[in-house]
Amino acid sequence: MTLCGTCRNINAISDARCSRCYSKIQPRNEQSLQQSWALLITAAILLIPANIYPITMLTNQGKVTYDTIFTGIVHLVHSDMIPIAIIVFTASILVPWLKIAGLAIYLTAISFNLPISKKKLMVGFHIIEWIGRWSMLDLFVIALTVAVVNMGQLLDAKPAPAATAFALVILLTQLAAKVLDTRLLWDRLEKNNDTN
Amino acid sequence: MPKSLDQDTIILCRSCDLAVQRRALPSNVRALCPRCHTALYDVPYCSVNGMLALCIAAILFYIPANFLPVLEIHFLGSIRATTVYESAVAVWVQGYWIVAVAVIAAAVIAPGLLILSILLQIIIVKRRLHSDFWQQTYRRLLKNHGLLSQLSMLEIYVISFLVAAFNLSDFSDIYLGMGTFCFGMLFLVILFLQREYNLEHMWRMVHEE
Ligand SMILES: [Zn+2]
Ligand SMILES: [Zn+2]
Repeated sequence: MTLCGTCRNINAISDARCSRCYSKIQPRNEQSLQQSWALLITAAILLIPANIYPITMLTNQGKVTYDTIFTGIVHLVHSDMIPIAIIVFTASILVPWLKIAGLAIYLTAISFNLPISKKKLMVGFHIIEWIGRWSMLDLFVIALTVAVVNMGQLLDAKPAPAATAFALVILLTQLAAKVLDTRLLWDRLEKNNDTN
Repeated sequence: MPKSLDQDTIILCRSCDLAVQRRALPSNVRALCPRCHTALYDVPYCSVNGMLALCIAAILFYIPANFLPVLEIHFLGSIRATTVYESAVAVWVQGYWIVAVAVIAAAVIAPGLLILSILLQIIIVKRRLHSDFWQQTYRRLLKNHGLLSQLSMLEIYVISFLVAAFNLSDFSDIYLGMGTFCFGMLFLVILFLQREYNLEHMWRMVHEE
């Protein structure tokens, strides 16, 4: 018995196609681990330019200032907008880092059969899947700001190179979580026969 | 096609492949996998007519939400306003097309396709369109449902209006436009629509001969 990856219908392992949605039946996707690693490593590399290069450029009365993700948050703190600063910090810094670190731990555990509680890993994985989307927040804010603030030398906002890097980090980490067949974790660690 | 007998009583966890006995559940309770705590199933409260009403409401809000101004800036006597659609175009024009594509996909295209997909599914179920063509379409829509709902990020966009408005309040007067109201309503309607919608239940409506 095996589960159809697309519609979750139950099929016999010998079936070639799902009886309900006609998708190909793939009991386990062994390649998914490698694909997930590749996507994750690329994302981790891109996270560096996303954080050190400026993400927006603001012209205010002829004076140009560049903001990185971090300095943008520092501005918010200085303007006494602590709740907004916390939201932006969570979405733009905490979530991407946590996601990459979490996925790395997860993939390492599968690849090297680490003795970590599978239940905890799985809970972590679901959290990563769920919070991942929130890092889109900064991109939305940049797009709105750039569109509304365009008054030449007096006041003008433009995106800066880190915006593309950041967008790619979000895309790649979401894909890395998506391609991974989580059942691999349970198969591999089955042999250790821990009861967690 | 022979249907296995235990199809309705045994289900497999999609994360860890554990076979679990399906039991009757009270409403508003989700069954979790005993091994890995992934949500397995809940009581489908899929009401086709309710979903149809929500779909129509969503379509009515979708157009003004995307094409009415969402953010207005009053600066030294001049007024600038932007819509969701224009904000993505503005980033594109600056050369940041990856950012623009991400914004358009998550805020405009995915929610729009999600509404249309559910609407079409409801029509196929309600009008009992059992021909091969419609059943193929139905399967295709269900297969892509997960992707579309994952790509729709309306709730994050709603928060981003506020963040952008507070960010800019340092420099000038900011007003949230009519588009923001429609966008907020669109978000609420889709939220309820997705609570009502149950993919597992929709799969069971596939017409099998
Ligand atoms: Zn299937
Ligand atoms: Zn499970």
